[in-house]
Amino acid sequence: MRPRTSALAALAALAVGFTACQRERPGGDGIRLVLRHQPLWGDPAPFRALLDGFERAHPGVTVDAQAIPNASDLAHQLLLTALEGGGGDLDVFVLDVIWTAEFARAGWLADLSGAFPPDRLREELLPGPVETAVQGGRTFAVPWYVDVGVLYWRTDLVPRPPRTYRELEAQARAAMARDPALRGFVWQGRQYEGLSCNAFEAIWGHGGEPLRDGRLVLDAPEARAALAWLRGLVTGGVSPPSVTTAAEEETRRLFQDGRAVFMRNWPYALALLEAPGSPVRGRVAIAPLPSVAGAPGPGALGGWHLGVRAGLAPARRAAAERLVAHLTSPEAALTLALAYGRNPARRALYDDPRLRAGAPAVAALAPHLARARPRPVTPYYGLVADALQGELSAAVAGVRPPGEALRRAQAQLDHLTGAR
Amino acid sequence: MRELGERRQALLLAAPAAAALALVALWPLLAAAWLSLRHVLLVFGEDRFVGLANYAFLLRDARFWSALGNTVWFTGVAVGLELLLALPLALALQRSGALVRAAVLVPWVLPTVVAARLWSWLLDAELGLVNRLWPGPPVAWLGTPALALSAAILVDVWKTTPFVALILLAGLQAIPQDLLQAARVDGASPWRSFRAVTLPLLRPAILLALLFRSLDAFRVFDAVFVLTDGGPGHATETLSLYAFKTLLRAGSFGYGSALSVVTFLCVAALGLVWLRLLARRRGEALR
Repeated sequence: MRPRTSALAALAALAVGFTACQRERPGGDGIRLVLRHQPLWGDPAPFRALLDGFERAHPGVTVDAQAIPNASDLAHQLLLTALEGGGGDLDVFVLDVIWTAEFARAGWLADLSGAFPPDRLREELLPGPVETAVQGGRTFAVPWYVDVGVLYWRTDLVPRPPRTYRELEAQARAAMARDPALRGFVWQGRQYEGLSCNAFEAIWGHGGEPLRDGRLVLDAPEARAALAWLRGLVTGGVSPPSVTTAAEEETRRLFQDGRAVFMRNWPYALALLEAPGSPVRGRVAIAPLPSVAGAPGPGALGGWHLGVRAGLAPARRAAAERLVAHLTSPEAALTLALAYGRNPARRALYDDPRLRAGAPAVAALAPHLARARPRPVTPYYGLVADALQGELSAAVAGVRPPGEALRRAQAQLDHLTGAR
Repeated sequence: MRELGERRQALLLAAPAAAALALVALWPLLAAAWLSLRHVLLVFGEDRFVGLANYAFLLRDARFWSALGNTVWFTGVAVGLELLLALPLALALQRSGALVRAAVLVPWVLPTVVAARLWSWLLDAELGLVNRLWPGPPVAWLGTPALALSAAILVDVWKTTPFVALILLAGLQAIPQDLLQAARVDGASPWRSFRAVTLPLLRPAILLALLFRSLDAFRVFDAVFVLTDGGPGHATETLSLYAFKTLLRAGSFGYGSALSVVTFLCVAALGLVWLRLLARRRGEALR
């Protein structure tokens, strides 16, 4: 008898526990917006204050900020399954610049052209992000913060930043001759999206343009030259063989230890390199990427937009649009820049004295961001990204010669996009 | 009469479990098979019946054959190494106490993702411990196509050898001791008694371990995903990783399902082969 009652008691306790675990629904007619964004490293208070300010200005609306994974791939997967499945707690969410076109085509993003006319966006924001957020003359997302690929160089090892690829190699070799333990140029060559960024930057630096009339053309002489150059860096000894497995953090650690002359990375690394206790503090600077001709090479555009889910009820949708407007307003952008080092998408902010004083590194990025070029803006980018990364990695790691890798990539791309 | 009634009762009692199994295992399989006959692109809202076109493309797909080759190589080498290493380990564990046995199990207990992350740091070309101790210039373990798959095999062997050793240990403990004593009395050397007495009686355990491990190794995903995510130029991409990328990264559900179905068929064939061998051995032992 006793075991049975104790078992029943345990079951009853579990049942009560489960019902108590259910999330409380907001009572009455309040709107609860769910904002899904990536974790903003640092003190959560300023961001919370931003959301509280919105809630105060719009009584009856609460914002529930939920985190999604930091890695772009994982965030993409999570959002894809949530949006395709139709369920999920999701009203306003972040979008990587490379999948905005894809999500817009899938019909998962609300058309925001009413609240955010494309012309106004083009006027107020940087050109690169707007190109990825406005599809077919309609606004599907609002740029929130942006990133660009830049070249880091050691001011104590090299007299001035290189302008051409030849100069980069020559300067790297000269520094390596003086100190054999140094690595010349470290970049991200692992098989992932970062490699695509590096590869596109090399292609643009060699004068290539992969997106022609909405079609991705990879098998072109400039692209072959670019990949041959990247592979040549590894075989020639300018880059260590470890770049074929390096992501951003590996290269950052190597550069921060003072063991590399040049590094290609995103601007986030500067704060860490200049932190107290860093071996290279005060001895690094940022420069534009080199190119074949000597003009500043365009860096790959990174960054995140804010989008509103399609199919929301009118009241909810209006509240969501107001939240997006609040989070992309100049004051909010300034807060994000000062508190979290996020580079704003607003052009005017870079001349703001508050930004110059509080986050000079962010303000100094203005010319780089103006030049930032987005990776091919096409709804097929997600579909082909995986095949592209594989073939680029094959070329960089020496599995296949660059020409053959690009041919195979083009064949796979054509099959994936043509077989509709 | 009584037997029929008992059989019907047995079937009725087993029916709920069978229904649950059908729901959880059979239905997703049928759904995947159904999806594999369609061309489904989530983003573009495409969903149409294409018959066996996905399979036709699969047969021409170089990436599929490379993934299959990687998977078969991985399974063969990993399982072979695990067996070779686990057998002496099991013999040694026979004489050890519970503490040593528990300590040996530690790699198996670690989640695969954690173990793979550990090894990816150890094998890091610049900062890894392996390169620090390596005589000669640093080697890019995970960046060289030939070495990357071997690194994945190493992680798998390190992690699951204790598991195989455990299965073999159970088999060893089932061998009656008087047989070995009789062999000793007859003057057999330790190696002779191992080969003539232990090994034949251990065959069912070995086959069982091979069955478990080869099915698991064929479906390897997490170790490769964390170590190299398919490796330099798809050099370490296995079937399950290719299917995952096609399904969830590209959103191509039709072709991804075709890949999953083919993986299932390979694993099922492998399992049937081992089970047939296992049944035959058991049949021989009884005779």
